[in-house]
Amino acid sequence: MIHAVKYHPTLELLEQYIEASLAPELSLAVAAHLDLCPHCQRIKMDLEAEAGAALINLPEADSTETDWQQMLSFITAQPEVAVKLEQRQPFSLQIQNSEILLPASLKPLMQNKLKWLNLGGISTAKLAGEDQHNVSLLYIRKDSEVPQHTHLGLEITLVLKGKIYDESGCYGEGDLLINTPDHTHTPRTMSEDCLCLSVLTAPLKFKKGLTRLLNPLQHLFY
Amino acid sequence: MLDPTSVQRHDGKNYQRAGIQGSMSVQPQDNAQWEQALTFIAVDRDKQAYSQLFNYFAPRLKAFGLKMFGNEQQAMEMVQDTMLNVWQKARLFDASRGCASTWIFTIARNVRFDMLRKKQSRKDELSADDLFFDGDYPEQEGSDSNEWDLWLLAEKVAPHFSRLPPAQRDVMEKVYLEEKSHQEVSEELSIPLGTVKSRIRLALDRLREAIDDPRS
Repeated sequence: MIHAVKYHPTLELLEQYIEASLAPELSLAVAAHLDLCPHCQRIKMDLEAEAGAALINLPEADSTETDWQQMLSFITAQPEVAVKLEQRQPFSLQIQNSEILLPASLKPLMQNKLKWLNLGGISTAKLAGEDQHNVSLLYIRKDSEVPQHTHLGLEITLVLKGKIYDESGCYGEGDLLINTPDHTHTPRTMSEDCLCLSVLTAPLKFKKGLTRLLNPLQHLFY
Repeated sequence: MLDPTSVQRHDGKNYQRAGIQGSMSVQPQDNAQWEQALTFIAVDRDKQAYSQLFNYFAPRLKAFGLKMFGNEQQAMEMVQDTMLNVWQKARLFDASRGCASTWIFTIARNVRFDMLRKKQSRKDELSADDLFFDGDYPEQEGSDSNEWDLWLLAEKVAPHFSRLPPAQRDVMEKVYLEEKSHQEVSEELSIPLGTVKSRIRLALDRLREAIDDPRS
């Protein structure tokens, strides 16, 4: 079902993720990767166990006895709430005329109908994002190339379906690519269409000519 | 590769991580005690068990909150929300998935995330419950850690070994240099068996990353 994931988030990124220090949009990409990657699921649980152990080894921070008593009485006076453990199920979505199975993490962002912008072989639909962060789906038809570009910020791409290639390798389902500002790349597809989740922390800057033509792309991506 | 310093932190702060270091002595019996307390709370809404758990965790959560928020009021808000979740959702705790302290950490983390989100008055399309799934990820067959054991024999590992966080290095030394069983290490260091195993996995992963990294 899932191809062996080759490209994972670094431990550092996972550590920031499990303690919620990472920007939420970046956390979303990590969460969706986790849905697809048993290896990182295990590391996530291990890191959380370590953080839990660190928590109980912290020296106690005091408050007055009254403060604690008030808090305790307030809490135990609260009614029980109905709780159920959620199932983490992938869901399917009609994208560009094909039914594609997507990781559960993305579901909350898919409540509205996707608005696709198309240009050449590439289509994007923005899912979320404000300020400095942007989350979108990127659908690249087969034999298409994304013009060479660099990033002003961090770009995280998670392959959801198909394969994408760049100067450093081939990425399949579940693979997470992280590109920093000093990294130029030209992603392309070969014989199959590719769907990616893309998280950008700042707009792209395209390197090669045809600036005027590529300007619309800027809007596509960001 | 990602330079971690280039990642914009959600809270815009720079603090020491509550991570791997300094988590040397978790008494296994403590966690067993809290697991039992959570069961009593879940089944009977046992106030006595809850107040013991509260007395132990609330001041530590406050220390955690102070470290994360740097602010008394928010720290206390985080403690109250976290402990309220523990009271109301104790049924969700599943000891087979991890320790009581792990579960409570994840609740505090989620509470903090949602507090930061609210403060920035973001639309809540990205909520902690969605981003940090607290469910059962199935146990995987054929752990790939085993093949990495071989790497430890290789000389290239040695220079990275000393850079492991102390808690992980201790466990690794006992298992791989002193050839002790996981159980023996667990008893010697008074840490749960699961912690021994998870430290080994984390250390192996860290070593693998160090070896894979062309810059090192």
